[in-house]
Amino acid sequence: MLRIRSLNVAYGGLHALTDVSLEVERGQFVAVVGPNGAGKTTLFKTISGVVTPVAGEIRYNEHDLLAVPPAERAQLGIAHVPEGRQVFASMTVMENLEMGAYARNGRARWRESLEMILALFPVLGERRTQLAGTLSGGEQQMLAIGRGLASAPELLMLDEPSMGLAPAVIDAIFERVHQIHKQHGLTILLVEQRVAEALESCDRGYVLETGRVVLEGAHDTLMSNSAVRRAYLGM
Amino acid sequence: MEELKWLVVDFFQAFAAGLLVGGTYGLMCVGLGIIFGVMRVVNFAHGDFMMLGMYAAYYLVTGFGVLAFLGPYAAPIVGAALAGPIVFVIGWLLHRYLIARVTGARVVSAEAEGHYSQIILTLGIALVLANGGLILFGSTPLSVQTPLSRESWEIGLIFLNQARTIGFLMAVAFAIGLYVFLTRSSLGKALRAAADNPIAAAYVGIDVDRAHRIAFGLGVGITAVAGGLIASSQSFQPYIGFDFVIVMYAGVVLGGMGSILGAFWGGLTIGLVQQMSTLVLPYQLQNTAIFVVFLLIIFFRPQGMFGRVWERT
Ligand SMILES: Nc1ncnc2c1ncn2[C@@H]1O[C@H](COP(=O)(O)OP(=O)(O)OP(=O)(O)O)[C@@H](O)[C@H]1O
Ligand SMILES: [Mg+2]
Repeated sequence: MLRIRSLNVAYGGLHALTDVSLEVERGQFVAVVGPNGAGKTTLFKTISGVVTPVAGEIRYNEHDLLAVPPAERAQLGIAHVPEGRQVFASMTVMENLEMGAYARNGRARWRESLEMILALFPVLGERRTQLAGTLSGGEQQMLAIGRGLASAPELLMLDEPSMGLAPAVIDAIFERVHQIHKQHGLTILLVEQRVAEALESCDRGYVLETGRVVLEGAHDTLMSNSAVRRAYLGM
Repeated sequence: MEELKWLVVDFFQAFAAGLLVGGTYGLMCVGLGIIFGVMRVVNFAHGDFMMLGMYAAYYLVTGFGVLAFLGPYAAPIVGAALAGPIVFVIGWLLHRYLIARVTGARVVSAEAEGHYSQIILTLGIALVLANGGLILFGSTPLSVQTPLSRESWEIGLIFLNQARTIGFLMAVAFAIGLYVFLTRSSLGKALRAAADNPIAAAYVGIDVDRAHRIAFGLGVGITAVAGGLIASSQSFQPYIGFDFVIVMYAGVVLGGMGSILGAFWGGLTIGLVQQMSTLVLPYQLQNTAIFVVFLLIIFFRPQGMFGRVWERT
């Protein structure tokens, strides 16, 4: 579904990503983990088109994604739930969800998506007229995910949904993400610093360090890898 | 007793005058509110777009008389309304080719630098528009002729100038129309989203550059309508933008940045302060009174009178 080959991204002269290759198959749950500054957010921004790579190729289904203008990429069924949530602070919860459904697919399937979102995150229904900027951090994260789902995407990209949240809230969010994957069969690409939670339920994982993929493999391979266990899982 | 009665009448007369003027100020402020309050673009040329609106109305009604067939009563009103789309196109083009270079998603990361270049650029546009206006339109003060400006409705002892009253009603109607557009329509919401968070807006598939262009055109177009409405009760020349830009910024800040309704109330308040101050202050100090109120509000309530605070602290 998503195939990235030898992607190179630089800010000014500084390399943020070096020869990154990555693959996501339809229906998979793929996790990208790594420490601060590894280039995880940069990878997502490049997929969404906010950052332009120096070299490399991104194919999405039959499309050459780098040839598609950024605003058009959402139309292809890619939903990007950005780091730090980035809700539309001055708009209501409901308006945020409506904006999520701005792309063609989202409009066509608005009713079903809304029902699904409110079932996953009932709190959003209770607070539908509240300004998004006044929601708590956890609620904002749920709204950001809800906004992503509102586009009725094929691929849901989540950038550190755990950022700045309390452990109990993080658990709840991860549980919902699994539910979205399992029950609704959505393909998920997750970036996380919380390696244990991220790797636990993924089909495939990538470890990114200073802009390079240092390790990749299926769930079992990574979980049994001694370097991963030592560095990230504290075992 | 008689004296007290006239004091009360004077008070209400000034109040009514303030309300009527304030309505058009309110509409002007709504236009600036979209650009400055919501999109956070510092537009020094805003008053000059209003000036263009005044001349657009003038040439449609009096100058070329394209609207003469509508008769002396309807023509000035239609002229003011048509000033909107004309200035919208001018604003759209200026944004497309100049202003977009210093605003939008690309400069979000360097907000402060963005503001410097916006100030320089829009100040330049302001100078070009005002002086270009001087060359094109001449320096003779003009006004849109309407028989309404010489007639009044009497309510008890209070006189309501008909041109100003109709201008007020039109201003309120346009402000409500714009509010409904921004809060109800899909395009309106997309414009707000693109202004609120350009990057997230791009992620949901909004063409942010296009949204900013439309919002900018809309902002200057709305202010041009307000200018067109004022043009039939006040004379103007190409430099009038500089006078009004102060009124507009005061109104927007007063009403609370980022709130469209607030901007309208802010402008209305400015109109009231300006007219009511004539009760106690000499006529020449009208604008000083605006500044005093402005400073007081900044001092005691920096979020504006009607500002909503949505950033959690
Ligand atoms: N706009 C930018 N300009 C210059 N350098 C940048 C920019 N954005 C990111 N970088 C640099 O690129 C590198 C990768 O950043 P990125 O945000 O992708 O990391 P990350 O893996 O998402 O980190 P975190 O876990 O902290 O979110 C960092 O060294 C960062 O300083
Ligand atoms: Mg990151």
